[in-house]
Amino acid sequence: MGLFADKYPDVSYEEKLRLWDEVKADARFPDYLYGCYECGICVSACPSARFYDFSPRKIAQAAAREDIELIYEQMNDDVWNCSQCFSCNRCPRQNSPGGVITVLREVAVNNGLKSAAQALEGYSRIVYKIMGTGTQVSPDMLQPDAFPDWGPQVKQVSDELDLWRRALPPETLHTTKASWQVDERTLIELYLIWYNTGVMDMIANVDEGLNLILSDVMEEMLEEAGYEI
Amino acid sequence: MAAESVLIVGGGPAGLEAARLLADIGTPVTLVEKRAELGGMPIAERYAALTHGFRDAESMINNMVGAVSASPLVDVRLGASVVEAEGEAGAFRVTVAKEGNGAGEVVEAGAVILATGFQHFDPGRETQTYGYYEYPDVITLSDAEGMLKDDVFLKANGDKPERVAFIQCVGSRDRQIGNEYCSKVCCGISSKLAIEVRERLPDTKCFIFYIDMRMYGFWENEIYWPAQEKHHVQYVKGIVTEVIKKGERLLIRGEDTTMGRPVEVPMDIVVLAVGMEPSRGTRDLAKVFGVKQNQYRFIEVPHDALDPVATSVPGVFVAGAAAGPKDLDDTMGMAGAAAIKAAAWIRKVVTAA
Repeated sequence: MGLFADKYPDVSYEEKLRLWDEVKADARFPDYLYGCYECGICVSACPSARFYDFSPRKIAQAAAREDIELIYEQMNDDVWNCSQCFSCNRCPRQNSPGGVITVLREVAVNNGLKSAAQALEGYSRIVYKIMGTGTQVSPDMLQPDAFPDWGPQVKQVSDELDLWRRALPPETLHTTKASWQVDERTLIELYLIWYNTGVMDMIANVDEGLNLILSDVMEEMLEEAGYEI
Repeated sequence: MAAESVLIVGGGPAGLEAARLLADIGTPVTLVEKRAELGGMPIAERYAALTHGFRDAESMINNMVGAVSASPLVDVRLGASVVEAEGEAGAFRVTVAKEGNGAGEVVEAGAVILATGFQHFDPGRETQTYGYYEYPDVITLSDAEGMLKDDVFLKANGDKPERVAFIQCVGSRDRQIGNEYCSKVCCGISSKLAIEVRERLPDTKCFIFYIDMRMYGFWENEIYWPAQEKHHVQYVKGIVTEVIKKGERLLIRGEDTTMGRPVEVPMDIVVLAVGMEPSRGTRDLAKVFGVKQNQYRFIEVPHDALDPVATSVPGVFVAGAAAGPKDLDDTMGMAGAAAIKAAAWIRKVVTAA
């Protein structure tokens, strides 16, 4: 039992404890969290904290105190406001709140938390693009529906996308469909990594449809290349 | 008539260290202690471990007692009080009376060191907010020390505590109570005790409710960091407002200020981190020797940093917590300074005359 009112009383303490134990069992965790002074240096360095009701300090505090209920609350909410820039690593105790968040997110995804699926819903297109083509966000993804949080200027950019792209000097970046071309061998290696490291299972946990579409694309190419999935 | 010996009042760490050092340089000492045994608060209040190294308090203090008791140059008077003093530096005439015996014996001394120490703040003195005299599971730091010395840290009904709360700054840093000063050691002592509780009872959660954590110098990485990182003691910035009995447990109310949320949770044992006040002996002896006291009735020194052991009366020095809240580090340093100043005074005034 923690110090505060439990925001998720319908989820049992044992389940919350199980998830926390999974976080602590992560090999990276001991290097991400020592103890917290509650000094706030991480918050002052955090870009997300300027725009959201989000505090990397509270993540470190809850984890250092092992406040099971509060950690569960954060795992369902706060952790998705982090941009994973690791500016918070300037901690005098050498904590990495961003690293703790990485682990909390992974545990949330691996355990199929509904909140994780909801938080990642808007990223389906991006995940599909990255994993399907091996490239980063491409210019044609800069659409108001995909990035509502970028504000009204997204519409301005997307309306004149070809024009903006032509304004960039390098020839190769005149495409709006991809950031760059990834060769087949690289793509096959990426697919194999994603299959073998459990990334496909993580995708399945948060978005079954996306997993099916990606599997179609990837398995076909892998089979052609002679790999059994 | 001039005298070559130093009178030390108080047989705690400060008095013991000053006596040992004076004997080391060949200066005779009369050591007067009101209690029946030497050792001061660590022995009388049965402290468990000393900070810095977590070594057993009793054996460490007894080493000091042993060195003084074995010295032919130290005349130890137990169960005795200083009731009267006259004369001046170089030739004090001090009346020492045995407990319960009106007739005193006059001791001559060239210089005097007051090492009469502190007493713990009485948490029922002015306010009963925390229910110290109402609820048996509300205890003080020194109660907790005694329990841990006996290796038994249980609720009054014999149950193992699930949750223990330490409340810092009880009787310190409080304008309403009148003790505006920080008692300096309680943050470290509470953290040390929380570690000792967690070592004995790994399933018991310990919370420390604080205003500021003041962990000087090496206490930081010797106590504070291990308490958090190794023993998972939980530090909450915010002071508990009240303790209420609820069934077999104690409900505490406060605010977790850094989380910005109210706290109202059950605890099994509440430890009050009571601060330091001048002991009865310090207050009485200040009057006997006519030395100035500060507004809190500790003995006043000319300058806390640069002249920390002199008093308003030439030839009368002070060491340890008689001069204000001190940790043992301060106390040992002051004892050394007081010893050498007393010896120097005797050389200057008595030997040279």
